[in-house]
Amino acid sequence: MKAVEAPARKSETQTREKTDKPWQVVVLDDPVNLMEYVSRVLIKIFGFSKEKAEGLMRAVHQQGRAIVWSGGREKGEMYVNQLHSAQLHATLEKAE
Amino acid sequence: MTIGPTIAGGLKLVPEADQDWLILLEIANDGDSDLSRRFASLMDEDSMWEEIVVPELEQEFTKQRLDVMMVVVKAKGGNEEAIHIDKEGAETWYGALNQARLALESKHKFGPRELNSPKEIKDPEARSAYFRNDFYSTIQSLLLRYVMVD
Repeated sequence: MKAVEAPARKSETQTREKTDKPWQVVVLDDPVNLMEYVSRVLIKIFGFSKEKAEGLMRAVHQQGRAIVWSGGREKGEMYVNQLHSAQLHATLEKAE
Repeated sequence: MTIGPTIAGGLKLVPEADQDWLILLEIANDGDSDLSRRFASLMDEDSMWEEIVVPELEQEFTKQRLDVMMVVVKAKGGNEEAIHIDKEGAETWYGALNQARLALESKHKFGPRELNSPKEIKDPEARSAYFRNDFYSTIQSLLLRYVMVD
C-alpha cells in the first residue's frame, strides 16, 4: 500500500496571523470640531504626548482621517465609544 | 453680549438684550437627538452600536443640552446679570455647543469655515444658522483657551 501524504497544514502561527489582524481606530475629519479640541481629546483618551496628538490632529485635518490606535476589537470599541462621547467622528476598521 | 474670562478661571457671558438671551436658549434647541445615531452609522453591524452605545450616548447628550438650557432659563428668570461657566461646567457647555454646531452642519452643510462666506448664503434660515454656528464656535474657542486648561 502506498503511503498517503498528509496535506500540508498551515502552521498555527500563520493561521493566527490571519485571524488576529489588528483593528484600527480611525478618527475622521469634520468641519465642526476645533483642532485644539481634537488634540485635547486624543491626549485625554490615549495618553498621547502633545506633539503626537497634534501630529495626528493635523493628519486628520489634512488627509481626512488618521489611524490613532491598533489592537484588539474590544479595546478598539471602547476607544471609539469614548471618541463618540467626545463628539468626534471615529470608526473601527480591520487592518488591511 | 459681552463674553470674557474671569479671575477665577471661568468664563462670564453677559447678555445685554433679549436677542442675546434668545441665542443662548438656541444652543439647546439647535442640538438634535440624532447625533448618536449619526455616529452609529460609522460602525459595522457586528459592533451592536445601535443597541448598546446609542442609548447611552443619547442620554449623555440630552443631559448636556438640558443642563445648559436650565442654566440659561434660570439666569434669565432670575434677572441675573450674567452667566458664569466654571471649570466644572465647561465640558457640559462645550458639549452642548458642539452638538448644536454638528446639527447645524448636518442640516446646512456649511463645510470648512475658511471655504465659505455668509455673503453667499441666500436662504435666511441658513444665514441665521451660519451666524449662530460662528457664535457658538467663538464661545468654544474661549472655553478652550481660558477654562478647559489643564
